[in-house]
Amino acid sequence: MLQQKTSANAAETTLTNEVVITSVDGENSAFASLSASLAEIRKLKGVIGYILRSNTSAILDLTEPDKITQKVILSSQIHDSCQEIGKQFNLGEMESVLVEGENVKVLCMSIGENKISVFMEKNATHSWIIKRILI
Amino acid sequence: MTENYSTALQTIINEFKNITPEITNTFMFKKNGEIIASTETTTEDQNKKLIATFNDIVDQAENIGDIETLTIQGADSQLSITSMNNRYLVNVSSRAADEKIVKTLTRVIVPTVVKLVDQIPELSGNELPQAKKPEVKPIEEIVLPDEQATHSESIPDVSASFSSEPMLPEPPVNQFMIEKIGGLLVPCDIVRVDSEVIAKWHDIYGDKEITQVHIETLEGKAIICRFKPIKETSHNAKGIIQFPEKVLQALQTSKGKLVIVKPVITCQGEKIVAAKNKRQRS
Repeated sequence: MLQQKTSANAAETTLTNEVVITSVDGENSAFASLSASLAEIRKLKGVIGYILRSNTSAILDLTEPDKITQKVILSSQIHDSCQEIGKQFNLGEMESVLVEGENVKVLCMSIGENKISVFMEKNATHSWIIKRILI
Repeated sequence: MTENYSTALQTIINEFKNITPEITNTFMFKKNGEIIASTETTTEDQNKKLIATFNDIVDQAENIGDIETLTIQGADSQLSITSMNNRYLVNVSSRAADEKIVKTLTRVIVPTVVKLVDQIPELSGNELPQAKKPEVKPIEEIVLPDEQATHSESIPDVSASFSSEPMLPEPPVNQFMIEKIGGLLVPCDIVRVDSEVIAKWHDIYGDKEITQVHIETLEGKAIICRFKPIKETSHNAKGIIQFPEKVLQALQTSKGKLVIVKPVITCQGEKIVAAKNKRQRS
């Protein structure tokens, strides 16, 4: 498995058990804080992985490497479509989106310019994750 | 998709606002995009846009399984889309709405109604489905009218003649254990019942004539025959019924088994019918 970390000044590649692709903008402190929170959340039972992306950076920590692309596209689609639906129905500023599939559920949140998608098993408690992210 | 079907769903959707005024919009659409029912608060164009946007997500959701629910929590309102049997229910409510009620409506009540409506075959006009009449298996009745022979008969149809006599209480049902009796002087078509039980029957029915009892085995074999009280006073007759060999054979039962016994109360009207049946037989 490949771990790749890129910043304005440094780039490194190491082998780990998971696929983690990071592109960190040093100036985005909210991004760094969220990344730390998500790393903690990732350890919770039932959490399958997460995607954190801002306008300039992204972190992906997902199992099943063959499905990473599909999950990234789904995450992006949920964020975009739900923004549109939110505007259309005057829901106000979007706080969270939960999409439950037959096997997996995805929690999507927008914190400023940062977009988060947490993939988890259906029996995982997403409300606690929302609180943890908003701290 | 019949008009009745759509009307049923429309009625439920319209009731949402009465249950929870915080619900502002509700509509239901099929997976192919056809709108089945909708509240008047949303335009068709608005609904169609939402369906198209939602379908964009569905197209990408293959790797999490088909979408069962989508919930958007906005600062002011929330929107949920719930999948049910090839359809989706969209519900928009303010954040002040009771989450439990909204979930009960969208995830329990409407899916249940949809399931039920789907089970009802397509109705046309005012046609209503006919309730299936349960098949009634008549209990085989064996009547022992005299000592000549034992033969099976159906119970005479009493419903033909309505009596003006006052309603009688339901016959008490007793459970007894079978004891066999025999001997030269024992009539083969008469069973013997505890005299205390017979006294109770007379207490209930006063001066009504009780000459026969209805006996039923646990296997469902039944017989109507005459009875007499158990003779010996010293005999511990409680819970015992004495059968001669012929009755045992007719009921295909044996000593020690249990039977359910109740008195046969003959009303005036029944007597007439019984007499008619007897004449027809002869």
